[in-house]
Amino acid sequence: MGLGARRRKSGVTPKLMLTSMMDMFTIVLLFLLCSLSDRVETIKLDKDLDLPRSSAEIRYDQNLKLVLTRSQLMIDDEKIAEVKNGKINGVDENDLKASLLYKRLKENFEKDKEKAVENPEEKTKEQQIVFVCDKSHEFRVINQVIKTAGLAGYPNFQFAVLQQ
Amino acid sequence: MSAFLRLKRKEMEDGEPNLVPIMNMFLVIIPFLLMSASFYHIKAVNTSIPVLSSGDAGKAGEEDSISLTVVAEFKKESIRLSVMSDRLTDQELQHFKAEYPTVGDSGFPIDKYSSHLKDIKAKYPKSETLILIPDNSTDYETIIRAMDMARKAGDVTLFPNVVLSGSAG
Repeated sequence: MGLGARRRKSGVTPKLMLTSMMDMFTIVLLFLLCSLSDRVETIKLDKDLDLPRSSAEIRYDQNLKLVLTRSQLMIDDEKIAEVKNGKINGVDENDLKASLLYKRLKENFEKDKEKAVENPEEKTKEQQIVFVCDKSHEFRVINQVIKTAGLAGYPNFQFAVLQQ
Repeated sequence: MSAFLRLKRKEMEDGEPNLVPIMNMFLVIIPFLLMSASFYHIKAVNTSIPVLSSGDAGKAGEEDSISLTVVAEFKKESIRLSVMSDRLTDQELQHFKAEYPTVGDSGFPIDKYSSHLKDIKAKYPKSETLILIPDNSTDYETIIRAMDMARKAGDVTLFPNVVLSGSAG
């Protein structure tokens, strides 16, 4: 005889034990409340993007993002070039101004300049680029990207890192 | 008496609170919190690359008011440290030169580098700039570590302005 049939016979209505489930939900709720941030991260961590860890405590600004993953270079969400064997395709070390990266950054810089003329209050804040880079990249590759950004008018950077 | 009131009275007699509405509330709150929770915290390290500017040599004065610019070169085989200043003699500048050889393949002697920076900061507390010149093969993780060490040692702020530069030539 099954358990349900036995209970039906004895005339006792089966009760759902909610207390243990309540305990579990309370723990989950507390954990989620603790990890709740007052702002949503706008940097997406892809499979081929592993950020270095740092003791830095500064928050990054919502500026232009230059993302260098193990396989590609992007400005915000737009793919600019492919990265293969530690080399950025289409970026020539001896002629950085000929690259698509330089052209896109320059266009953006000119747009920012126009905006700054329209809104003089924003002019006081110097434009920084948020540089999101995989930790395995060598300085040779990074240098090409930051040099190009510098040539396009962005000498200041915020390097994105994971908090230790 | 309605069925609802009968049920309520029965519950009160049993002494067990009705947990179902609370459970429903949790089921609404938890997905909402899951969506807005961030399981990683991304921070930023401020840096810049060298730009042309008009130099500010400053006036001659006491040791406390002299500010030095530290140059840290991360070579394959060592970390080379030196200082630049218009207000110190060559002999004084030579005093802060140091070279710490790497241990193993890429084991940079970060502790020695950090303690050397602390010494410079202790002698010239107005110094705030460090120029970091990594070798082409230095990985990004090591660069960030070197920047961390240059900015802070424990709770002491050392050189908050870290400039990243490629080696000349």
